[in-house]
Amino acid sequence: MTMAVADPIVDVRRLKKYFPIRTGLWQRTTGYVKAVNGISFTVRKGETLGLVGESGCGKSTAGRTMIRLYKPTEGQIIYKGKDIAHLPESELRTSVRREIQMIFQDPFASLNPRKTLGTILEEPLKVHRQFSTKERQERVVHLLEKVGLKRESIHHYPHEFSGGQRQRVGIARALVLNPSFIIADEPVSALDVSVQAQVINLLKDLQEEYELTYLFISHDLGVIRHVADRVGVMYLGQMMELADKKKIYATPLHPYTQSLMSAIPRVGRHKQRERIILRGEVPSPSDPPQGCVFHTRCPQAFADCKHVRPQLKAYQPGHYVACHLYH
Amino acid sequence: MFRVGYDASSANQKTPNSCVVTKMTALLEVSNLRTRLNDGQQMLSVVDGLDLTIDKGETVALVGESGSGKSMTALSIMQLLPDPRAVIEGEVRFEGRNLLTLTDRQMRLLRGNELAMIFQDPMTALNPVLTIGTQMTEGLRFHLKLNKKEAVQTAVEWLKRVGISRAEDIIDEYPHQLSGGMCQRVMIAMAMSCEPKLLVADEPTTALDVTIQAQIMDLMQTIRRTWDTSILLITHDLAVVHEIADRVVVMYAGQAVESAPAEDLFQKPLHPYTEGLLGAIPSWETETDRLPVIEGSVPSPGHMHTGCRFAPRCAFAAERCDRQEPQLKELKANHHVRCFLHENKG
Repeated sequence: MTMAVADPIVDVRRLKKYFPIRTGLWQRTTGYVKAVNGISFTVRKGETLGLVGESGCGKSTAGRTMIRLYKPTEGQIIYKGKDIAHLPESELRTSVRREIQMIFQDPFASLNPRKTLGTILEEPLKVHRQFSTKERQERVVHLLEKVGLKRESIHHYPHEFSGGQRQRVGIARALVLNPSFIIADEPVSALDVSVQAQVINLLKDLQEEYELTYLFISHDLGVIRHVADRVGVMYLGQMMELADKKKIYATPLHPYTQSLMSAIPRVGRHKQRERIILRGEVPSPSDPPQGCVFHTRCPQAFADCKHVRPQLKAYQPGHYVACHLYH
Repeated sequence: MFRVGYDASSANQKTPNSCVVTKMTALLEVSNLRTRLNDGQQMLSVVDGLDLTIDKGETVALVGESGSGKSMTALSIMQLLPDPRAVIEGEVRFEGRNLLTLTDRQMRLLRGNELAMIFQDPMTALNPVLTIGTQMTEGLRFHLKLNKKEAVQTAVEWLKRVGISRAEDIIDEYPHQLSGGMCQRVMIAMAMSCEPKLLVADEPTTALDVTIQAQIMDLMQTIRRTWDTSILLITHDLAVVHEIADRVVVMYAGQAVESAPAEDLFQKPLHPYTEGLLGAIPSWETETDRLPVIEGSVPSPGHMHTGCRFAPRCAFAAERCDRQEPQLKELKANHHVRCFLHENKG
């Protein structure tokens, strides 16, 4: 999936999403969880942008905010030239809601257990008043077959399917409105390895056939390496590094990316290379460190890192990094 | 106390001589283990004729996808199956004694003492309403007969050994005050505090982030080097196995399909299932456009294929595989495989 540099489909600018922490009898706001704390990036048409990071780094919140499941605290989300960050719900429904779709992590929790697959898949079409009843049913069956399920499945309930099959249903549901941009939030993390490979291949095939753009959120660098064209690494609500897949895997620049890559156990011909083991744990996003958010665990931190927050800047063309070592 | 009718000479004393009865080095010998659970209507076989040997100081990994019976094997060895109606057959010999013939009371004296277990989700495995200290000292006082002060001291020592710097404070804290990685360290400290001979680790790093996973795996390596503890590692993650196991047993649908030294298995897997599993992992070294897949999914207990259980998903399945069940055969030294493809080479 090599792509020439194409037009941006989504342009995220200094996006912030804070969740209030409410305590006490009157539920007063006593602080904020800074889940996404000012990230900027673009997703190009037809590409797969992988977003990686550990739990709590804000990658899922970023995805959900981009699709406006959460209202952004600050910043812009420019979709096809229009800022959708603060559009009212009524306007969202007529455009964005149809064109941006989401695939969720847990195929057990994201499908209504009391509805048949047919009903589940038809619902988006009904909500958006598309096609006649007969056309709708045709489309549902067509999509089920596309994702590798039998047409009889429309009469069955989610519990009758395995995890991998349910995730296929989740994918079909995302496709039903013919979207152009899909945000996939850990779509294969809940699946076994052998099934995981099936779903990854399916996502790739569909991307080619329908010219889809993906934002692929995952904690698994192995999976990301397989699906993504470009990769963004997040830590504590910030984007630490963003580059072409080839570059970031061959020469990770940010100390966090380096340790992340070295920490992952691999199956390969050679036994382990030197591993960088990070000390300590991720600080709380309600009280992120001053300066560089990574300095508390960084093996290469120096005085400046404690006070000045580095900005995400190009180190080489197309390779962005937020680290004082490089600027 | 609580030692009625129990021969204390072998299990409860930590003398190196206590294992002279066993032949040479095998610490745990599981043979023909069969575990069946009752689902309300029928008995479902979840482990079907498993053999497993763990030598002293060895790390053996039990690998498989969900539903392969790997966790049930661990729970059968520990006799911690969730269902009291479960039937365990076969032999589980620990230092020569068959654990399956022990009474509950005898088993309690071993569990947590000679055999310890750590679980997948440390947040739910710890009791939320007791302090870390209370939970950690319980076993020390019961098994090692320490008094309260000694027990707390030992607990603090172990917490420090697993890399918790503020051990004295953590003793008085509750599990919810700690992060997942911290809780897993506490679990490991707790399991190790009685210096068990066998540590059963059921997916110890699955619930953790990669950087924390690296810390925990490093810790397990240290433990094994320092205390010569045998480890039975249960996991679905072949990459983790590759890093720390000496020997690997691959399970599929309740049976072992391949068992080999780790190096052998990763270099030259013989069973089509193992090969498929290894192929399905997104690789770091070669770049392919499509991942090789194993079609279909793991069968559920009660719906097993007659003949080879993997046959419906196997690319090499012949007509014979549907009729006849292959046996686990030793093909090379220590390399066993359950497949007709390799039958004539044995």
